[in-house]
Amino acid sequence: MKRTATSLVLLLFLLVLPAGLAVAAPDPAGDLPVTGEATSPFEEAFGEEEAPLKVWDPIEPVNRGIFWFNDKLYFYLLKPVARGLRVVPEPARVSVGNFFDNLASPVRFANDLLQGKLKDASDELARFVFNSTFGIAGLFDIAREQGGVSKKEEDFGQTLGHYGSGPGFYLVLPLFGPSNARDAVGRVGDYFLDPLPYALDNWELIGAKAVDKENDLSLDKDTYEGIKRDELDPYLFIRDAYAQRRQAQIAK
Amino acid sequence: MRTAKRIHKFFCQFAVTALLLMVASGANAAEPLAEIRTTVDEVLTLLRNKNLPHEARRQQLTAVIRPAFDFEVMSQWVLGTNWRKASPAERKRFADLFADLLEATYIGKIEAYTDERVEYTGQKLEGERAEVDTQVKTASADIPIRYKVFRKGERWLVYDVVIEEVSLVRNYRSTYDEIVRKEGFPGLFSRMEEKIRELKTPGAAS
Repeated sequence: MKRTATSLVLLLFLLVLPAGLAVAAPDPAGDLPVTGEATSPFEEAFGEEEAPLKVWDPIEPVNRGIFWFNDKLYFYLLKPVARGLRVVPEPARVSVGNFFDNLASPVRFANDLLQGKLKDASDELARFVFNSTFGIAGLFDIAREQGGVSKKEEDFGQTLGHYGSGPGFYLVLPLFGPSNARDAVGRVGDYFLDPLPYALDNWELIGAKAVDKENDLSLDKDTYEGIKRDELDPYLFIRDAYAQRRQAQIAK
Repeated sequence: MRTAKRIHKFFCQFAVTALLLMVASGANAAEPLAEIRTTVDEVLTLLRNKNLPHEARRQQLTAVIRPAFDFEVMSQWVLGTNWRKASPAERKRFADLFADLLEATYIGKIEAYTDERVEYTGQKLEGERAEVDTQVKTASADIPIRYKVFRKGERWLVYDVVIEEVSLVRNYRSTYDEIVRKEGFPGLFSRMEEKIRELKTPGAAS
């Protein structure tokens, strides 16, 4: 456990380093939409809010390599396992998903507090209390179903963004998929906020995360297959979608 | 004779009033939310009808979607700076291909939620533009889909679909821009054509 913590601090340092450079380097776009000259009548009317994001991707060849690797991993390993899981009735898998979501509640709560979002923090706390008790250890998301209080994604990457950190360069992580310098650092931060690593040893933790991930994939409506099927260049589509989504999450 | 004249005058007035009323009601047409609801419900009904043969279904879906989206405006917007560089023939070609592609993409995205309940959660009017919020209620999560519409005559036409905070049009714009920069219009067109061919092949959708 101790050694893991040390190596994580090292990893954090290595990830912060490029992130720091990313802040120092002239970031061609960052999170801000680029305001160019209007080019069509439509753009003159609609331009301000619809400007596209420019994602800074200096290591595109490397990212595309990891993207290719993740694609193979998905189709040859992750997806077949998830498909096998679908023999389990859906309500049971929804409950497993709820259970893991509930366990991760401290991560969201802490990040709400770090961003000074007191209303969201109290919502998150109420969700945790109700779902852990009446929802039977988080198996049922009654806060959403009965109380109308849905889960709101919060993570340390968003907290960093909230305090003005730009996304830095685009980064595709093996296994985890799209990310960027800031959000990769955020992942390490969330590791320390997550209660699971403190309760489980390494292999148990990996097992738990694998079950969580496969379970989520089994519930997913084949989103990635859809993107592969519909898009001219799935890499570009996901890169832009990730940037848009993170920007919206941080702005909330 | 005088009565006839009076009746005639009455009818003229009536006709003019009726016309004015129609124009007035046309000006604030149907509510955007109601219009989106009609379109989305029709699309979902067609998708849920498992008895329709593939080709007939596609045609009927096209008949519902084409009039509700403004593909011309969208394709101008998607091409952005490249729109100016394109020749009229290229613009036309792009608009046609893009309409085909976006229609197929939209159907693909919404098809995943065929069996789920769709809620229409609200609309925000802002002059000639509006946003209609919908939520797809799946067992494990609520997926927000927002339709951005603008008024054209009597209808509200869709110019963007935002799924889980990701605007399709903004996304296409940056994606296509990159492809045009690297491969030019011929590269973009051939990629689009190839994609449309793939998407139109029955059974490819799995």
